[in-house]
Amino acid sequence: MRELYTSELEELEALLRDEGKLVDRAIRGALNVLERDDLELADELIAFDDEIDSRYLAIEQRIPSLLARQTPVAGELRLVLAILYINLHLERIADYCVTVAKLAKLAHGLPRDRAVLEALEEMGERCREMLGTGLEYFYARDFTDSQALIEMDRPIDRANRKLIDRLIALGPDESQREWAMRMMLASRCLERIGDHAVDIGEQAAYLVRGRFEEFTDASHKPPRATT
Amino acid sequence: MEAIKTKIEVTEKERLPVVSEREAVFEARDLAVYYGDQRAIDGVNLDIYQRLITAIIGPSGCGKSTFLRTLNRMNDLVPTASLTGQLRYRGIDLYGPGVDAVEVRRRVGMVFQKPNPFHSSIYDNVAYGLRILGMKRDLGERVEKALRAAALWDEVKDRLKDSALGLSGGQQQRLCIARAIAVEPEVVLFDEPASALDPISTSAIEDLMHELKRDYTLVIVTHNMQQAARVADMTAFFGLDVSPDGNRQGVLVEYDETEKIFTNPSDKRTEGYVTGRFG
Repeated sequence: MRELYTSELEELEALLRDEGKLVDRAIRGALNVLERDDLELADELIAFDDEIDSRYLAIEQRIPSLLARQTPVAGELRLVLAILYINLHLERIADYCVTVAKLAKLAHGLPRDRAVLEALEEMGERCREMLGTGLEYFYARDFTDSQALIEMDRPIDRANRKLIDRLIALGPDESQREWAMRMMLASRCLERIGDHAVDIGEQAAYLVRGRFEEFTDASHKPPRATT
Repeated sequence: MEAIKTKIEVTEKERLPVVSEREAVFEARDLAVYYGDQRAIDGVNLDIYQRLITAIIGPSGCGKSTFLRTLNRMNDLVPTASLTGQLRYRGIDLYGPGVDAVEVRRRVGMVFQKPNPFHSSIYDNVAYGLRILGMKRDLGERVEKALRAAALWDEVKDRLKDSALGLSGGQQQRLCIARAIAVEPEVVLFDEPASALDPISTSAIEDLMHELKRDYTLVIVTHNMQQAARVADMTAFFGLDVSPDGNRQGVLVEYDETEKIFTNPSDKRTEGYVTGRFG
């Protein structure tokens, strides 16, 4: 009975790893869509979300059954709960990637600005790094430094600020303003992806420490030099 | 913004009193119990708190029942049993000179694994202890009060003179609880009280324990981990230890709030046991 249980837990985690890799590809894909203004790639990325959703659903459906049949407790209970939440965060990140792809489609053919695109690329790469770190904490059950993840969030905020300044400075041309608005929303999506990555790190910390704490608090942000 | 300023009422979950505010009923200090030369439990340090439910869990042979039976001197009935260390009840050394074991058992009642009603009427089962102890005033009222407290009154009030053996297993167990609380003890010990019962009767016993907690201090030994998780405020995990001389004895591995034991135990052995990977 415990063998079956153990293998079910392992399968859940394997599904989550798989989903994590796909989500990382989705972020990179979204950045490529922005960079290349590629309509075909945008559609591919939107379709790719089904792959991620299938993993998300598989995990989502297995957990109630596992809870009902095996009543996990202690570290195993924390593991199942962490998987449940991380799964949700990954699915949300993937949805933001789809939104970026859709925004890129709407902005297709409009005049672009190199500095804005560079800022978005910078934000997106930071997001991937954060997601990788959050997930690595979880896989390794080795959680030592929550600060690293919070530190990684700061360049995202900086890039976001730079991007806003640049967007404001763009000229009065209507099509350029439309492009700017779309990119503004894309930037917001990337920022949210970073937040979800921090939340994944929090779940890893919960699994290891046995108590849940938020790394940062949205309503009481610590003072930041750049904002 | 006024609406936002309105204080949001959050229903707080029923919290356990903090450790400093808990009142210890029993204090075990370096307690060891022997059967002949065989050490059954060793080095137990544990406080049992007033009006909380304390569960004792652990693998077979770890001394759970032995420990429970020291709390009302039931082990006195085993000729080879002896004890070292100290067990205080309300500050009094329970095994000290001059302590009357019968009085101990009046204050610390016990309910056993198999319902064991006497071969007599429902009424006489509950009245038995009261008569023995000379608590004969208002006997009928006391019997009713005990049956009500054991959530059995409505089911038996019209057949109090019927044999207790005609009751179902679950009802018999509640009758035994009524019999235990009729003599107004302070503590009730439960030794696997639901292991012979179906899930519905088990749930009735667990609900009853939750009710009884208002007036009594309860200690339960159970093999059913989920039962401990459901009913207990505090959980003590006993494990088996092999000493250098080859003696296998029960030791207290971890004692904490039940929620802690089942979400984030401190000791690897506890984690192993509650998750079913050991024992």
